[in-house]
Amino acid sequence: METKQETPQRAYKNLLARYKAFSNRIPLLGWLCGGIGAVLIEYFLGDLVSYYLGLPKVPVLFGCLIMLKKPILIPGAVGYLLLVYGLPVFFIARALATPANKLAAFLAKGPITIAALVHLGLLYAILHIWTDMSDYRVLVLKLTMIAVMLTLSLNVINGYMGEFSCSHPGFMAIGAYTTSTITLWLFANDKLFGEALLPAAIGPFFFPLALIAGGLVAALGALVIAIPSFRTRGDYLAIISLAFLFIVKSIIENLEFVGGPRGMSSQPNYSNLPMVFIVMVLCIWIINNFVRSTLGKALCAVRDNELAAESMTVNTRKTKMVTFMFGAFWAGVAGGLFAHVLRYVNPGSFGIQRLAEILAMLYFGGLNSVTGSIVGAVSINLLSEALRPLEIFKWIIIPLLLILVMLYRPTGLIAFTEFKPKELMRSKE
Amino acid sequence: MKRLLMVIVLGLIGAMVFSTNVWSLGRKTVIKIGINAPITGDIPKVGEGTKYAAQMWLADINKAGGIEVGGKKYPVELVIEDNEAKAESAVKANTKMITDDEVLFIVGPQSSKQAVPAGDVANNYETPMITPWSTNPDSTKDRPYVFRGCFLDPFQGPVLANFITEEFKFTKAAVLYDVASDYPKGLAEFFKQAWEKIHGAGSVVAFESFTTKDADFSSQLSKITKSGAQVLFTPQYYNEVALIVQQAHELGWKNPIVGSDSWGSAETVTLCGKDCYGQFFSTHYAAAGAKGETKAFIDRYQKEHGYVPDDVAALTWDSLRLVQKAIESSGKITGKIKKDRKAVRDALAKIKNFKGITGDMTFTEEGDPIKCAVIVRISDKGEYEFYKSVCPN
Repeated sequence: METKQETPQRAYKNLLARYKAFSNRIPLLGWLCGGIGAVLIEYFLGDLVSYYLGLPKVPVLFGCLIMLKKPILIPGAVGYLLLVYGLPVFFIARALATPANKLAAFLAKGPITIAALVHLGLLYAILHIWTDMSDYRVLVLKLTMIAVMLTLSLNVINGYMGEFSCSHPGFMAIGAYTTSTITLWLFANDKLFGEALLPAAIGPFFFPLALIAGGLVAALGALVIAIPSFRTRGDYLAIISLAFLFIVKSIIENLEFVGGPRGMSSQPNYSNLPMVFIVMVLCIWIINNFVRSTLGKALCAVRDNELAAESMTVNTRKTKMVTFMFGAFWAGVAGGLFAHVLRYVNPGSFGIQRLAEILAMLYFGGLNSVTGSIVGAVSINLLSEALRPLEIFKWIIIPLLLILVMLYRPTGLIAFTEFKPKELMRSKE
Repeated sequence: MKRLLMVIVLGLIGAMVFSTNVWSLGRKTVIKIGINAPITGDIPKVGEGTKYAAQMWLADINKAGGIEVGGKKYPVELVIEDNEAKAESAVKANTKMITDDEVLFIVGPQSSKQAVPAGDVANNYETPMITPWSTNPDSTKDRPYVFRGCFLDPFQGPVLANFITEEFKFTKAAVLYDVASDYPKGLAEFFKQAWEKIHGAGSVVAFESFTTKDADFSSQLSKITKSGAQVLFTPQYYNEVALIVQQAHELGWKNPIVGSDSWGSAETVTLCGKDCYGQFFSTHYAAAGAKGETKAFIDRYQKEHGYVPDDVAALTWDSLRLVQKAIESSGKITGKIKKDRKAVRDALAKIKNFKGITGDMTFTEEGDPIKCAVIVRISDKGEYEFYKSVCPN
C-alpha cells in the first residue's frame, strides 16, 4: 500500500504540478497584462515599497546590483521583487485569464498580423514604462535588443547553415561605419565631414534608410566570405572569416577620413527605444520567416550534407551566398543601431572580444532556434550587467555557466526548436 | 467588511505617501563620487591604481569627517564601477552612476577610447566628469562638463622633440608606433610634425608602424637601424616597450630610445630590465627623488599596496583632490543634485594654480589643464629619476 507522506520532494513536485496547471490556463496576453500591471505598480508605488523594505531606492536591475553590493539588503530586494513583480503578475494574470483567453481566441480568428501587433504593443508598453524609471535601464535594454539581432543573424549562418563564421563583428563594423558616415555627413556638424548638408529635422526619418544602406554594404562585404565558402567548409572557412574580420578592422584603422583608430564620435541620437524595438521586431520576424521558408529548409539540408543537398537539386551556391548576405545585412543594421546608441565607434570595439561575446550568446541560447538566440542574448547580456559588481569573479562565473550548459545541453539551452508566433499567442481554453 | 478593508488599505497607502515626504526632508545628504575604472579587461593595472588612489582619498576624507562645504560637513561615498576597458561598458557605467546612483562628480574613465563616449554621456546629463589620464583632445572638446587631469598629446609631442634636440643635438629621428591604437598613433604624428618643424622635412628618417598585440618588431627595427637614425621614439605601452627595447638592442641599436607617458607604469622596468636603464621618457611626475606632498603620497601608497604608484594613480589622486576643492568652494550643497552638479562644475572651472602632486594646474576654457611635463630618466637601479621639467610657454 502506498502511503502519502509529505516529503519535501513531493511537496515540490506538487507545487510544480499546480504551477503548471495554473500557467497552462494563462495565454500570453494574460502574462503581458500582468507585466503591465507590475510595471505600473513599480512606476507609481516603487519608491514607497522600496522605502518600507529598507532599500535605498528602487532596485534598477531586478535588485541584482543591490544584492551583490550590500548582501544585507537581500531580504529587502527579494521582498521587493515579490511585491512589485511576482505577486502582481501572478494575480493579474489569474484575474484576467478568462477575458484574456476570450480576446486571444477572438484575435486568432483574424489575420495574424493584427494579433501580433496587439501583443507587441503590450510588450512595448511594458518595456516603455519599465525603462521610464531610469535611463540606465533604457541603455541596457537597447544594447540587449541589439545583441538579440546580432545573435539571431549569426544563428542563420552558424546554426541553420552550419558554417562556422567568425566575421560577424566585421559585418557589424561595416554597418556601423557606413551608417555613421551617412548620418554624420548629412545631418551633423562635425570635424570629419564638416557642415550638415540636410536639415537635422528630417534626420530621424532618414535614419532607417541609413540603416538599410549600412546593412547592404555589410551584405556586399559578406560576398568576400560567401565565395570562398563554395569550396571550403569547417575550420578553413572559420579561418577565412577570421581573416576577413582582421581585414575590416585594419582597413578602418588606416582610413583617415573615418577617424582611423580614434574612431568617429557625436553621431546624432537617433537610436531611441521605439526605433531599436521596431528594428529588432522586424529582424526577428523576417529571420523567423526566412528560416521557415523553402530556402530555410535548403539551409538545413546544406548543413546536414552538402553533397546530398546538391544532388537533391538544392542550389548550394545560391543558398550559401544568400544566407551569408542575409546574416551580414542584419549584423550591419545592428551595427548601425549600436553606433547611434553609443554615439561613438572605434575599430577596437569590433575585435575578437566582440566575436567571443556573440558566439557565447549564440551557443548559450542554442543553435537553430530563434527562441534560443533571444534567450541567449538576453540572459548573457543581463547576467554580465547584473554581475558587474563582482568585478573579476564575473569573468569566472559566466564562462563557468557556459561550460555547464555545454556539458548538460551540448547544443545550447533551447536548440532546434521552431518559433511559432501563432502557437505562442493562442488561447489556452 | 469589504468597505472597511478598503478604507484601511487606502488609509495605509495615504500614510505611506505622507511619511515618505517627511522622511525625505530629514534625509542626510551624502556626497557621492563615481569612479569609472577598468578593473577587469585589457589594462587591469590601470584600474587597480585608480581604485587604490580613490580609496586612499576616501580614507583621508573619512578621517576629516567628510567634506566641508559652507561650514557644514557632508559624508562622502565612493561608487566604483568596472568598465571592463570597453567603450560601451564605460557608457553604461556612467549612465548608471548618473541616473541611478546620482553621483555628484565622476572621476574616470582613464583611457581615451572610453573617455570620449563616456564624456558625451556626462555632458548630456550635465554631470561634471574629470578624466585623469585621457590625452585625446576629443574627450573634452565642446563639452563644458568634462575636464581632464593631464596634458594633451599636441603638447607632449613638441616637448619631446625639443628635449631631444637640446639634450643630444640630434637631427635624425626614427619613430616606431602602433597604428591600430589611437594614443600611440596620435602622439607619433604630433612628434613627427614637431620634429620636422625643427629639422626640416625628411628629418624623420624612419616612420615605422605595427599592429596591437604584435610581438616581433625585428623587420621594423632593422629598417630603423639601417636608416641612420640617431634616436628612436616609441610612444608605446609597457608590455610593448620591453619587447621593442630588448629587440632593438639585440639588433645592434646603440642610440637612445625615448618614450612618452605610457612608459610610466611600474611594470615597464620589471619587464624590460637592464635594457631600459638610461632611457628617457616624458611623463606627468617622477617618483624617485620626489619631494613634499608627492613624496608623502608615494610613501603612503607604497606602504599600503607594496609598489611605487604609477602616473595613473598620481593623476587620479590629483583629480580627486581637484574635485574635493571644487566641492568645497562651490558654496553650498543643496541636496538638489542638478543644481549641485552645476555649482561644482563652475567651481572647478574657476580653480587657478592648483598645487597637485603632478604639478600646478589651471584649467583652460576647454577643461584641459595647463601644466608642466616631466622628463624622466630611468636610472641604473631601474628607478624613475626626475631629469627636467618642461612647461608650456
